[in-house]
Amino acid sequence: MENAPVFRARGLVKRYSMGDAVVDALRGVDLEVGAGEVVAVAGPSGSGKSTLLHLLGTLDEPDAGSLEVAGTAVAAMDERARTLFRRLRLGFVFQTFNLLPVLSAEENVELPLWLAGVGGRERRARAREALAEVGLGGRVGHRPDQLSGGERQRVAIARALVHRPLAVLADEPTGNLDSETAVAVMDLLTALNRSSGTAFVVCTHDPALIARAPRRVFLRDGRVVADERGAAA
Amino acid sequence: MRLALLALRNLTRNRRRTAISLAVIATGTAALLLTAGFVAFSFEGLSEAMIHGGLGHLEVVRQSTADSHTATLERSVAEGLDDWEALQARIEALPGVRAAAPTLYAAGMASTASGKSAAFLGVAGDPVRERRMGFTLKLREGEALADAPPREGEDRVLLAKGLAESLGLRPGDRMTLLAVDPDGMLNALDAVVAGLVTTGVQELDTRYLKLHLASAQRLLGSSGASNLLVTLDRTDRTEVARAELLRLLAGHQPPLAVVPWTARAPFYGQVRALYKGIFAFLGSIVFALVVLATSNTLLMAVMERVREFGTLRALGTSISQVAGLVGLEALWLGLLGALLGDALGAVLIVVLNALAITMPPPPGAVDPIDLQVLFVPEAFAGTIVLMLVVLTLASAAPIVRVARLRIVEALTHT
Repeated sequence: MENAPVFRARGLVKRYSMGDAVVDALRGVDLEVGAGEVVAVAGPSGSGKSTLLHLLGTLDEPDAGSLEVAGTAVAAMDERARTLFRRLRLGFVFQTFNLLPVLSAEENVELPLWLAGVGGRERRARAREALAEVGLGGRVGHRPDQLSGGERQRVAIARALVHRPLAVLADEPTGNLDSETAVAVMDLLTALNRSSGTAFVVCTHDPALIARAPRRVFLRDGRVVADERGAAA
Repeated sequence: MRLALLALRNLTRNRRRTAISLAVIATGTAALLLTAGFVAFSFEGLSEAMIHGGLGHLEVVRQSTADSHTATLERSVAEGLDDWEALQARIEALPGVRAAAPTLYAAGMASTASGKSAAFLGVAGDPVRERRMGFTLKLREGEALADAPPREGEDRVLLAKGLAESLGLRPGDRMTLLAVDPDGMLNALDAVVAGLVTTGVQELDTRYLKLHLASAQRLLGSSGASNLLVTLDRTDRTEVARAELLRLLAGHQPPLAVVPWTARAPFYGQVRALYKGIFAFLGSIVFALVVLATSNTLLMAVMERVREFGTLRALGTSISQVAGLVGLEALWLGLLGALLGDALGAVLIVVLNALAITMPPPPGAVDPIDLQVLFVPEAFAGTIVLMLVVLTLASAAPIVRVARLRIVEALTHT
């Protein structure tokens, strides 16, 4: 499936049980994300942004609907296949950075390559290259607790991109950053998208970030209520 | 970067907790080493005391006597060795044999001029050979038996203190020994008390007396010996030497048996079994304590890192890799803790031995003993293996917890 979209979701439904109550997090979401696209998924808290991201990232399974990633139906993948798929084809950026505190910046970025079985020398070279791309070429040996919030998120972005995935899924990547750093991080994501051709799906409710995204999908109560392309109005 | 290295680094995250876990493991390891060292010392001390207390490493005796399973002190001269001198020469020619001593056992009644009497168990031997063999009786009063065979009418005996007290005898006093010879005739022997001794065994001290082989032969009207006791240069050669002796003595008439000291010392087997039981009990307590303490620590460490495990799973780390990471952290703890424990144990052994602590006499013994703890290399290696097993067990619950984590829930865990 050479020209298949990176993600093709049809009628995605996800329900959570909270005690006796059932919460419909997603109520039939259709979404297609092409190769190299940057999509901001926006909406208020509880609109289903993170749930959608988890389903796209094969971290969770839908209760109904279908999802294809790179032309392969996720429903046909077993746990091992999904793990391998994430390892080789996806990158993740989290709001709280989620770096391993005992590893240096370089070692954190090496992690996906190590999981993919890339040899030590190449691994180190590519990790340094990725860190240089996010402007942290001089901080390779620093551990997360020696870095600022913005620097940590840039390490996380380098980690998400180092193995050249099809798509990077970012959940509130600027949620823990000040506005100036948030804008810088978003600009970095956009620049990396241009240079790497990797698709980005970014969940956010930060208006500044939403405005910078070339495509904006709005969710409300588990449904897509708008899907805008082009410069924000 | 390897999983094992990542696991090792993870131990540095909460240093205080890791230090406490290491201390628990090291203390348990050291406790086991000290116990093993003390048990080994007790086994060695007991076995050497029994061998050099009169059992010898091996006993050469008639096959019929060995088959009758009579106790060593009841070996009859009637079923003894008439050609013991020739046998002694052949046995002592073997390499690794320190000496072969004829022994004659004589049981009977001892009486005094004042009319007191008591049953005795007499052990007669050759003082020169016995000295060479390391047979030692603690002389409390008087003097030892002379090396040369006493002339008729000049027989001398050593009395155990308990027997001397019941007869009211002191060194220099005269006494009469009565015993039945192999023909069933009652013989008497007048002797002078040369000295008072202790055997080290309280019960035996009430009956024991020691005399020269020549005196006992006069008492029993025999030129034979009940058996030949053989001591070796090294206790660990007992079985090898036994096989050599059996080859050497094959074809002898009447047929001879070579009995190892362990077969004549059921007490040793019982003590060994008791000590092993105590060691196993203590070991199981240490085992349980370390499992419980470290299992809780590992579980806490996992619960604090739920989000991190979720991240690792999201990035494509397999369940087995994440479980392996937790397992490796446990194994590192076990290995480092056991190595620390080995070092601690070694230091404590040196210190305890240097303190020269005196312990009260063991049950049945009369003399206090100096506490010594031996280095048991097998125990040092064994505790490392044991602690790796313990920590593997302790990591089971945390591993199951990690393996069951749902990624989405783990990522949102607070």
